[in-house]
Amino acid sequence: MVDWTKIRNDFPALKRIINGRPVVYLDSACMALKPRQVINAMNEYYEEYPACGGRSIHRFGEEVSNAYSAAREKIAKFLNADTENECIWTRNATESLNIVASAVKLPKGSKILTTSLEHHSGSLPFVERARRDGLDIEIIKAQSDGTFDIEDWKKAIDSKTSLVSVVHSSNVTGTVAPMKEIVEIAHDRGALVMSDDAQYAPHHPLDVQDLDVDFSAISAHKMCGPSGMGVLYGKLEHLNSMNMFLYGGDTVSDVRFEDGKIIPEYLPPPEKFEAGLQNYAGAIGAGAAAEYLQDIGMKEIEKHERSLLDIVLKQLSNMNHVHILGTDDINIKTGLVTFTVDTVSSAHDIATFLNDELNVMVRSGWHCVGPFHYQMGIDPKKGTARASFYLYNNLDDVKTFLLGIEQLIEASK
Amino acid sequence: MSDVPPRLAMSDLSKNAQCVLKILESAESLTTTEILGIASTDEYADLCTDCAGGDAFVAAANQLVEKGIITKKFGKGGYRWQLVKD
Repeated sequence: MVDWTKIRNDFPALKRIINGRPVVYLDSACMALKPRQVINAMNEYYEEYPACGGRSIHRFGEEVSNAYSAAREKIAKFLNADTENECIWTRNATESLNIVASAVKLPKGSKILTTSLEHHSGSLPFVERARRDGLDIEIIKAQSDGTFDIEDWKKAIDSKTSLVSVVHSSNVTGTVAPMKEIVEIAHDRGALVMSDDAQYAPHHPLDVQDLDVDFSAISAHKMCGPSGMGVLYGKLEHLNSMNMFLYGGDTVSDVRFEDGKIIPEYLPPPEKFEAGLQNYAGAIGAGAAAEYLQDIGMKEIEKHERSLLDIVLKQLSNMNHVHILGTDDINIKTGLVTFTVDTVSSAHDIATFLNDELNVMVRSGWHCVGPFHYQMGIDPKKGTARASFYLYNNLDDVKTFLLGIEQLIEASK
Repeated sequence: MSDVPPRLAMSDLSKNAQCVLKILESAESLTTTEILGIASTDEYADLCTDCAGGDAFVAAANQLVEKGIITKKFGKGGYRWQLVKD
């Protein structure tokens, strides 16, 4: 039995009082708060051994190298990767997606498949790759509730399809894609699958081997880790065959100078993709975050979020003037709700009102998912509001949020 | 002649804040959607360059409220934003 009150106390930001009120943080789909354990792990690096990893032979160098390796092992365990060498440190999921879009080898004349529900970071790298190499790109339309019809995938994935890029859990509708089925169809037809797990990984158990995805992208900042840190998971065979993305220090086993030419010999993954001095504190923090979440249990976290979401969805859907975007089936949903209120002209008014009146912090806008907003006929300028729940939220947060929506409607109609 | 209080020059403000301020100079008061609608017109294309989602403009507007340069009032239909006149 998880003691959620104790968990909540791990997060210093939640102890703040602003204008005499506690904070109700419901913007974890953008940026998760950080527990003391992650902050301490990063501080320990800066205070105790703030040196270069992998190259300095002194004591500090040894300590950071060990901590850095241990962090990668923690991430590999979190994802259930076959080996830690399949986990590449990146700046964020966006960079992970860009590495694959830019560097994976795709046959001439082949087709990339993606969806209207992707975050811009999941669609644009592949739109640009298709443009760069003259590849076809097909967009599968999500249904209005943010789910997908598996028949659409069966029709769209054909023998020409070389790569499928799909968001595992939408940051707008919260809907979870049927990833295992998509992977089976794709592999059956010879296509690779890139899973955007930026929203999925922090909230659900993720097993890349069980799903059999070829690539997965995650951001540490959405899973209680530091900002500016992400991971690209890739099956080793694909990482080995991919082009490099960045060149430079730490990517080479040797750089010879022969006959007036510089001749490099590059290292295998993960170093192949990690040019230059690394963000050691960030990696150590990301590892600490993965360990923190796993110690609590991802299944428990998923259950906790869904218990809060269930209340929110039921209450919101009973309120006049509130329109929810996305399915109300919590069994295929991450802990977030996106909605509009028709008594105000813009979702930004919802976010501003909740912040001003009750310290309730939600996100408003188009959430970097322009295509789905346009598909749904929602003017991006009016946008949608999103409240997202995480392991540190509780029933009081839910009640305050719902009270805020009631007050907003009352004051604006 | 700008109505910005003398302690702040336009150049002290972020581009998004300058955009919001310029728009509010042209009207008595505006709703959030009206501000974002005007920001996306050709007339303001050079100044108002942030993304179509509009959140960065509203964040900038809230900062202008904190600085006492504009006010916001919540009522029927949502917020109305207004320049503080000297």
